[in-house]
Amino acid sequence: MNVPATQNFEQLQRELDFYRREYDDMGARLVRLQEEQSRAAREARRSKIVARLVRDAYQIVHQDIFASKIGGLILAMVADTALCDKAAFLNRDPMNAQNFVVEHALGGMGADALEMPSPPAFLFTASGKLTDPAAEPLIGLIGVPYILWAYDEESGRGLLLGKKFEGNIHRPFESRDAEIVEVVLAVYIDLLLRKNAEATMRMARQAAEEASNARARFLANLSHELRSPLNTIIGFSGLMLERRAHAVTPEQRDEFARQIQAAGRSLLALANDILDFSSLGHARLQLRRDWVPVGPLLHAVARALTQEITARGVWVDVLPVPPQLQANIDYDRFRQILTNLLGNAIKFTPPGGRIELGACLAGHTGLRLSIRDNGIGIRQEDLAKALEPFVQLKSETHEHPHGAGLGLPIAKQLVEAHDGSLNLASTYGKGTEVTILLPEGSARLT
Amino acid sequence: MTGTIRTVFAQDQSAEAAVHACRTALGEEPADLVVAFVGGKHNPEAALSALRAAFPGVTLTGGAAAGVISSHGFGYAGFEIGIIAFHGADVTPVVVTTRDLLAGEFAAGETLGAAVQAHTQDGQAVILLFDSVASTAPLKLHPASQLMAGFQAGLGGRELHVVGGGLLTDINLSDGWLLDGAQICKHAAAALIFPVGIVAETVIFHGCRPASSFLDITAIEGAEVLALNGEPALTVVERMLGLTLGTTSGQQLSLVATLGQKQGDPYAPFDENAYVNRLILQANPERGSLTLFEPDFELGARVQIMSRDNILMLESVTRGVGELRERMAGKASMLGLYIDCAGRASVMSGAETEEAELVVETLAPDFPFMGFYSGVEIAPFAGTSRPLDWTGVLTVLQAAR
Repeated sequence: MNVPATQNFEQLQRELDFYRREYDDMGARLVRLQEEQSRAAREARRSKIVARLVRDAYQIVHQDIFASKIGGLILAMVADTALCDKAAFLNRDPMNAQNFVVEHALGGMGADALEMPSPPAFLFTASGKLTDPAAEPLIGLIGVPYILWAYDEESGRGLLLGKKFEGNIHRPFESRDAEIVEVVLAVYIDLLLRKNAEATMRMARQAAEEASNARARFLANLSHELRSPLNTIIGFSGLMLERRAHAVTPEQRDEFARQIQAAGRSLLALANDILDFSSLGHARLQLRRDWVPVGPLLHAVARALTQEITARGVWVDVLPVPPQLQANIDYDRFRQILTNLLGNAIKFTPPGGRIELGACLAGHTGLRLSIRDNGIGIRQEDLAKALEPFVQLKSETHEHPHGAGLGLPIAKQLVEAHDGSLNLASTYGKGTEVTILLPEGSARLT
Repeated sequence: MTGTIRTVFAQDQSAEAAVHACRTALGEEPADLVVAFVGGKHNPEAALSALRAAFPGVTLTGGAAAGVISSHGFGYAGFEIGIIAFHGADVTPVVVTTRDLLAGEFAAGETLGAAVQAHTQDGQAVILLFDSVASTAPLKLHPASQLMAGFQAGLGGRELHVVGGGLLTDINLSDGWLLDGAQICKHAAAALIFPVGIVAETVIFHGCRPASSFLDITAIEGAEVLALNGEPALTVVERMLGLTLGTTSGQQLSLVATLGQKQGDPYAPFDENAYVNRLILQANPERGSLTLFEPDFELGARVQIMSRDNILMLESVTRGVGELRERMAGKASMLGLYIDCAGRASVMSGAETEEAELVVETLAPDFPFMGFYSGVEIAPFAGTSRPLDWTGVLTVLQAAR
């Protein structure tokens, strides 16, 4: 039977329409399926990001870095996930609980700090969501509209992520993203605690090692420093007691007595130094500050060491000091500082050498004191050691200098007790300059 | 050939540190030209300053990249820097530039094409780089189709192997910039003309499959498709897909579907190489229209809604690299360049496998290789170089036999 052409055409048209509908429907299903797969992949990406961040961040545990570097490294890891355009760790100001300081930042921030009276534990902004008023200062700080924030009340630290746009790579933030920021923040805080604990342990170990070294040095030094004067005392007193054929003359007796007295004074000075250093290391020194004329103080110190200066054959000059210059210091302690420093300079300056004592204002009301010699100097590598207790630096000319090696450390501690600093500069073979700087408010011109 | 081409990659929050790492990796090797692809989170001026310090007196070109792909590393976080360093006249391309895209892409392209024509013979390889973003608010791109139409006109019949890409600071199309020899420029394009002794082999990777029957464009203004089959374009697409696109932000649309135009016989079996796809830049619910990345579809054109297909995208890479390897055989490869649509990154496509990594793994180049994520890709297609969307363009430069 022949089918009319029109009927055949209609049949074909219907068939074509059918296939077209089915094709379109299948195509739409394909698109939706692809979208669902992509959405699922993006969801899975969140977990992957979290896992990766945790894994990468904990690698830091094994790295020998300071706690202060951790935040920057973690922000770089966050950036590497392409999650945001900007990021920052904020830290509550210990002096003002409403103030949060930017500790680490990735991308420019609008300020270094912001006020936040009651930071929420978590928040996010998205174009499809009303903005929480608490988000406004954070948006102002980071300078982009879409943010993700987590805050840990106990540690006072917060993590802020921000992006300029939504869409494509940067889908809108949502509540489930809390997982990311909270985990990253927790990891950061945990790592900080670990690194700080490590640092504390390291410092404690270092202190213990230093104490042990100091004790060893002390014992080694002490045996020498005690033995010499004690030998003098025993030796000369023995001579005085001996019943010899030739009686000790009165002149000799006087000389022996002087030697015994000098040895006793040396022992007393040693005992004083040890007691001083020990007390300075264990308790905060109580200073009796007063306004002291600086020029007369320098002259008094130089006069007190006249015997040593003469014996050594060195020249000591007190450089001109403004007569009105006064320092707010503990007179006795400062005299002790200067005596120690000048004593050292005398000891390490060869006969004929020159030592200069000077003082002037530093800034408006700070004080600068200096003791400069043209003695044997200190090698660069020994400068730090010179400030350690019980250290006696060896030199070509002084194989074993006398003293407990406490002069400089005591002087340094006493200067620091005055809120000042003691600096040592030296050129080996040319001389040394010790500079004391006292902060603003320590000096005046009357 | 005596010249050398070297590629290096580094990633660091500091542009200076990243450039320094690149320079260190290059060693003391001198350079005549440096092409730098700079991640969008780097400050352009800081990057330029670091490049100048690392390569004093060297011509600098390249620009922003939404991500960098190399055999030494890979990323699109925004802190990457990829460098191609050329040394020697027989390998170093001549760079010609224009800064006039804003005044008119066609005219700028024509000027650039004429300049390239003056420097070339038929068959030479050219890489074209240009700033993709014309304006950020409202978002407007520099249409590559107009740039290329002008460029072809300027070439005046010169037959060149042109590949290229639009430069973006990130996948969100936030901005773009170009290094035009020495300066950072907006609205600029650069053509890198390779010496006569170098030839190029190119393969295009696709990843879209038709998801609808044919639709006729019945109203269009530039890149804005107003009507399909006589109905508002947005309504048609939404109805067919069963999705409400108008409520999503514009940039998300490019994740969902594209419009594709089949070349040649419309009823021929599916061939991914037969389609020119256009990403959707924006949905406009008030006008019921869709704005495409390029304004090169014409009234009456028959298009199809295309779905991204991640499996197809990865298969396309494997297939394409195999084809390219066959074509490469017997010639010394000097540089592999991969220009990859930013949407193909797994963070955007949702693909389990990073497509760019698959390219590197499959090609396994034993020659210098560098790639970047782009806004649009330019490659020889159906007899002429034209802009493409959602593609990966892999070119290998080889010494001519």
